[in-house]
Amino acid sequence: MATRIESETLTYEQRLVSLRETKIKSNLEKQALTGCLNSDDLAFILPPEDRREIVHAISGSGVPITDVIMSGIDIKSNHPNGGFYGPKACGENYASLLKGHPTYIDPMSSLAGAYMTNFGSFRKGGWKPELDFSHLRADQELYQLLSGIGAPQHFCQDLSLGLELGWGKILEKIRHYRTVNTSQDAQDFYDGLEAIVLGMQDWISRNAQLAREMAETEPRPQFKLNLLEMAEINERLVTAPPRTFREACQWIVWYQMAARMYNGSGSLGKLDLILQPFYERDKAAGILTDEEATFHIACLLLRDTAYIQVGGPDGDIKDVTSPVSFLTLEAVHLLRIPCNVAVAVGKDTDPALLRRGVEIIFEDRKSAPKFISMDNLARGFVRNGYPMELATQRAYAGCHWCALPGREYTLNDCVKINFGAVFQVAFEDLFADSGDEPSVDRLWELTTYHLERAVDAIAKGLDFQVAHMHEVFPELMLDLLCHGPIERGVDASHGGVEFMNLCVDGSALATVADSFAALEQRVEQEKRLTWAELKDAIDTDWAGTEGERVRLMMKSIPRYGSGGSLGDAWAQKVEDVFTELVKAKPTPEGHNMIPGLFSWASTISLGKDLRATPNGRHAGDPISHGASPDPGFRKDGAPSAMAVAVASVNPGWGNSAPMQIDLDPGLASDADGVENVMNLITAHFDLGGTLINMNILDKEQILAAHKDPSLYPDLIVRVTGFSAYFNRLSPEFRQLVVDRIIAEA
Amino acid sequence: MTESGIVFNIQRFSVHDGPGIRTTVFLKGCTLHCFWCHNPEGIRPKPEIQFYPDRCIGCGACLEACEHGAQILNDDGVHIYVRENCVMCGKCVDNCFSGALELTGTKVTVDEVMAEVLADHAFYANSGGGVTLSGGEPLLQADFSRAILQRSKEEGLHTAIETCGNYTWSHLESVLPWVDLVMMDLKHMDPDVHREVTGTSNERILKIAEGLMYTSKPVLFRTPVVPTVNDTPEAIGEIAAFVRRLSDLRIATNAETGGDAPLPVLGLLRFHRMAADKYRSLDLVYKARDLEVPSLAYMDELRDVARSYGIEVEH
Repeated sequence: MATRIESETLTYEQRLVSLRETKIKSNLEKQALTGCLNSDDLAFILPPEDRREIVHAISGSGVPITDVIMSGIDIKSNHPNGGFYGPKACGENYASLLKGHPTYIDPMSSLAGAYMTNFGSFRKGGWKPELDFSHLRADQELYQLLSGIGAPQHFCQDLSLGLELGWGKILEKIRHYRTVNTSQDAQDFYDGLEAIVLGMQDWISRNAQLAREMAETEPRPQFKLNLLEMAEINERLVTAPPRTFREACQWIVWYQMAARMYNGSGSLGKLDLILQPFYERDKAAGILTDEEATFHIACLLLRDTAYIQVGGPDGDIKDVTSPVSFLTLEAVHLLRIPCNVAVAVGKDTDPALLRRGVEIIFEDRKSAPKFISMDNLARGFVRNGYPMELATQRAYAGCHWCALPGREYTLNDCVKINFGAVFQVAFEDLFADSGDEPSVDRLWELTTYHLERAVDAIAKGLDFQVAHMHEVFPELMLDLLCHGPIERGVDASHGGVEFMNLCVDGSALATVADSFAALEQRVEQEKRLTWAELKDAIDTDWAGTEGERVRLMMKSIPRYGSGGSLGDAWAQKVEDVFTELVKAKPTPEGHNMIPGLFSWASTISLGKDLRATPNGRHAGDPISHGASPDPGFRKDGAPSAMAVAVASVNPGWGNSAPMQIDLDPGLASDADGVENVMNLITAHFDLGGTLINMNILDKEQILAAHKDPSLYPDLIVRVTGFSAYFNRLSPEFRQLVVDRIIAEA
Repeated sequence: MTESGIVFNIQRFSVHDGPGIRTTVFLKGCTLHCFWCHNPEGIRPKPEIQFYPDRCIGCGACLEACEHGAQILNDDGVHIYVRENCVMCGKCVDNCFSGALELTGTKVTVDEVMAEVLADHAFYANSGGGVTLSGGEPLLQADFSRAILQRSKEEGLHTAIETCGNYTWSHLESVLPWVDLVMMDLKHMDPDVHREVTGTSNERILKIAEGLMYTSKPVLFRTPVVPTVNDTPEAIGEIAAFVRRLSDLRIATNAETGGDAPLPVLGLLRFHRMAADKYRSLDLVYKARDLEVPSLAYMDELRDVARSYGIEVEH
């Protein structure tokens, strides 16, 4: 009898295999129902079949998606357009969702719960119509700006606040401060917050109850015990803060799932630092092994692909690397699913963490972890007038970004200036200028003029967002774990937190730099074609054989990334003037803006409405990706050349310009190889680089998967800041990855 | 001192041509003509035009540019490059943007090479990398090679050469003071077989190999394992035995001079067939096209054979 029981006991690793299989199965179901998804591999699972409703919506990152919502949720409109707006309505409706949210427990996991929908997909009507910003639209449309108006989340809460208080004390805190801040606006805000906390408690307690019920019928002793533990833990967590490592992971999962479901927030930040006290306490008490801790972290990662930093400085601490940092990497390694963990690399950070990160990314080939220079980012942040002790407290928490946990509103990754669109307007002006002969100098003058107007338009849009987002869709989930919103009765997006450093990213850098370089070389220096011939070729999108010849002529110059070329010089010039303009002054309302370079998934959409560009790009093709040179920038595709180039265009004010790099698996097939990749990473950061998104991809496999993605259900790629299952990406996103691989191989 | 030379490629982030992260400069021209050579564009010393018809867009610009009848359309209207009519003026290449016509081998100055090499300075120091001269045979342009190596040493870089060893000692001696690592090919121990497969006997090569043992330079001998040439335990065993003799020689030299020069190492490189396009582009016959690529397991077996001679064999 004893032998039989023992044979039924699964190891943590076996349980993770089962959990991963369940996840991949769930992915296939999601794909069958909702098609492609060009963003994070969101870990939600489908609601029960009888409650599924398919809708078309906008994701938390602003991408149109086909989504599944649940029937039976009582959503109340407070507006004639059928939508709901403001803290009270948003909070109460979200509470309805939480209270009506089905329970879910996988006995293989140590943590209860799963989320099944996006609250944003229940929203109707979009931006509140009375809050008119038509006066800003002309420039926004002219320059095809992503203004950030209406964009949610993209800043980082302070999880340690939640772990300290628990839901009970958070509720008390809200109830206390509603007696302090008595304005109607504040009362509405507290109503929303309070409703959400009550909703959370209801959701958690129903799952606890499910765990108890499942335990009663569970025949396997190992899982019966697991379910009973889950029940007990979650009964406690309804009100109390977590005591143990497992409880802390469970608390984080609940919060994280709710934040993700509310408006797509996926910021976790310095997980190792947050979990370290629990780890140490449990280890000292002899109630936690490293294996078990790794398993709990893996179960946490399984429920959401949140953005996490391990290692690096924090305040006065030079390096927070701890056993938990390594266990987090091991959890990623065991799970082999899309994970967004960044390893901090720096002169005071434990180099063993970097080594382990490189080993894992090559062994697993799952595009995790990524690598970040908190030193360079902190140095840049200081230039905004902040002390270094504060700068190092910023945590990596999103695709390409950092934020001060719980203290900073950033709107990271939501605001994009498409240099390509600005260039296009300047290019048109150049030829509308009847007096003068076109010249590169004149085109540059016009480009800088329009870039300045674009930055001004962005600044005004940011002020509008800060003034009104809270009336539309306030940051209630993140507010709960921020320092200030509850105390002041003000949403984080409206000044509830101490700092406001608004992100302004440039994109299409290579597109524009190479366009200028091609014009300078081919038209002005070599005089191979006239401005009129070039204009004609652009207007016809390089039609005909002659058009194609001109296109290839423009494309085949030494481009940005090749090193010491005109393209490199132009990239520097474009970045310099962009940074200068963003930093020249704050927004009209006095908010600080921080420049970065990143285009995220918008690489495709920002190219859609762009005509052909002089770098040989066809109309409608994607713009160049973030700060990266275009594929084929050098014949040898040397990663070091890319590392030098991208480092040289980092704006250097605390926001990143990531290097997106795809490496061949053969590169690190031996110990020297791991060493070489470590050196590639550290040299990029020594040169001023900030963040590295890395893929280890086998060219043959990617090409085969591109033909028939269904054959590779567990192939994971880091498309841009996020990583995703290849088979869930749309064909054009897959093409983006394939083009890179072909050119770089 | 020759301040310029003919180079057909400069490859940054090169990780298989010596230790660490390196920049490999490929110099054009070689005295051997190994039939499996994977850099056929490096064999002839002068610049050449490579023609890739698949990339041609049919724009006709090269036909207009060529005054010598080297770029023509055949009766079916297909673009043909007639190499024998070509005077290598380069006008066609200058007007071809599709990559169908490419010039391989360009005259570059030492300064130009160094600018490219130094662009990756940040990657060398921590990785123990640096610059490697390869080819072709770098010592066919010995003055140019020496100038690059000397400048690299002045910049504090690790330097390596990949050489076939088919020259007199004075050639090598003229660059050796600025070389930190010599990587030298040993293709076969039998002079007749060597002549048959490379066009030249191995006598000078073996002498150079031996001569190196009287210096203190680290030496990595490398053998491309090519089916029908040397892919047998016997052929590899003979090479390993030779390296063992050299190793003993270096031990004796060390004892005599009180030096501690490292013992030579042998590396076995797996033949690959990836050069087919390049052969076609140069109108050369790729005789190795149909050879089987040795399996990884077989390569390991051969390495074990070599190790049995008591020498260090690279993985």
